[in-house]
Amino acid sequence: MAEMMLPIQDGDIKTTVNDLLKGLLRSGKVSAVIAMQETPSGKSAFPTMVSDPEKMDANVFAPLLPVSTGTMISRITKVRGSNKPITVVLRSCEMRALMELVKLNQADLTNVTLIGVDCPGTFPMNTYSSFPGDKTPTEAVLEGGEAEKYMRSACLSCKDPVPENVDVVIGIYGVDLKKGLFIDTRTDAGEKLLEGIELVKTDAKARVKAVEDVRKSKDAVRAKFIEERSDIKGIDKITEFFDTCVNCHNCMKACPICYCKECLFDSSVFDLEANKYVAKAENKGSFKTPTDSMLFHITRFNHMILSCVECGLCEQACPSNIPLMDIIIPIAENAQKEFEYLPGRDSEEKLPMIVYREDEFQDVGEK
Amino acid sequence: MSEEFEPKIVGFLCNWCSYAGADLAGTSRIQYPSNIRVIRVMCSGSVDTVYVNRALLEGADAVLIGGCHPGDCHYLNGNYKARRRMVLMKNILETLGLEPERIWVRWISASEGQKFADTVKEIVERTKEMGPNPMGKRWNV
Repeated sequence: MAEMMLPIQDGDIKTTVNDLLKGLLRSGKVSAVIAMQETPSGKSAFPTMVSDPEKMDANVFAPLLPVSTGTMISRITKVRGSNKPITVVLRSCEMRALMELVKLNQADLTNVTLIGVDCPGTFPMNTYSSFPGDKTPTEAVLEGGEAEKYMRSACLSCKDPVPENVDVVIGIYGVDLKKGLFIDTRTDAGEKLLEGIELVKTDAKARVKAVEDVRKSKDAVRAKFIEERSDIKGIDKITEFFDTCVNCHNCMKACPICYCKECLFDSSVFDLEANKYVAKAENKGSFKTPTDSMLFHITRFNHMILSCVECGLCEQACPSNIPLMDIIIPIAENAQKEFEYLPGRDSEEKLPMIVYREDEFQDVGEK
Repeated sequence: MSEEFEPKIVGFLCNWCSYAGADLAGTSRIQYPSNIRVIRVMCSGSVDTVYVNRALLEGADAVLIGGCHPGDCHYLNGNYKARRRMVLMKNILETLGLEPERIWVRWISASEGQKFADTVKEIVERTKEMGPNPMGKRWNV
């Protein structure tokens, strides 16, 4: 494990990281790099696969999460893994999603090296596209302070903004950003990747302290977030919460963890003959259409919550602006605690619903 | 005042143990309340939470998942998996404040006709205390 600093060139963080990634392609160490790249209009940014170093225009700190890079790696590798070396730059929530997808056999990390970047948070798409003030969203987010008020709620109460399960970490915490970016090579693959790149020594202790502080403050925000939402409980509040749901299933489509090739709720399982619907109306007195909105949400929680990485893409995708994180974060917190499971912690770990212990939950079934 | 509330209970019983236990209760002429509607499944481990949820959202007052005793599963470990799944489901309903106590998990073997009858009696009694499932009358779920 080496903790070093990548000196900033021309006073510009974007150029510095971009040059590093260009170098990887030029040296032939990797055939392609996947990293966030701004669209020409500057209104958006997407994970972009680049193999021509001249076309490399990455902005790895672009504060936007249009899709999860985890999902994109799954799309790219799930048919068959890569023969050629690929480097992927991602944030911690994307890293966690990718680890969960690996466990689900939906992503193949053969010949893939991961570079994780510290993530100070992201903005909703519309805020990013027409960012208020003179600064670019990237400048604003790296400066901190003011920018927080525009951030997505999922980011404000982020579980862990520092990526863990990666080969190399590019850090912004614990270093002077005018001088350099923190670099931590954590694996042999990471070591090899950065071989020959000029790095300078830095104060590892300052980094450890800074990361600890960031995690502590995020934990506090998250605990307060959960506390403040503890009254969203009971049938009245929960039905009210989902009152504006139009049953579009966008949350499921945006979710990096919703892994089924075809969702049960997109199938015809719940399509009944007209007589059954009339019988239901006679039975209940009345019912709203589309049916099964609540059933969809609660079932979705049951299927994905243990692997939920709290990226907030579901909330971002909702056309009715339902603040889904308000209930997802508390549910994820409690459920993951029950099974002592943290998504993304370890790619070798088994998913809780496919394993069991004989001596657990022994009161269930007897009383 | 209307007549006494009679709970509707949906029971998912595994083919190899709990369903046979219910069958034994019947053939042994053990009396138990008729509030339960039994659905035979091959294994308690095959009961996805969507079925339990649907029963509750459609207004079932209680749901019973019956499986073989731990260690006795016909498919070796289906009931252990069912146990985890139901723990998760109850945990989620608990956080949402949606009455997880309406879900019952019981291990009933093929020879336990009496236990099946007692279980149904117990569920009916407790559910009568709880009152009807408020989801039943909701039109907007």
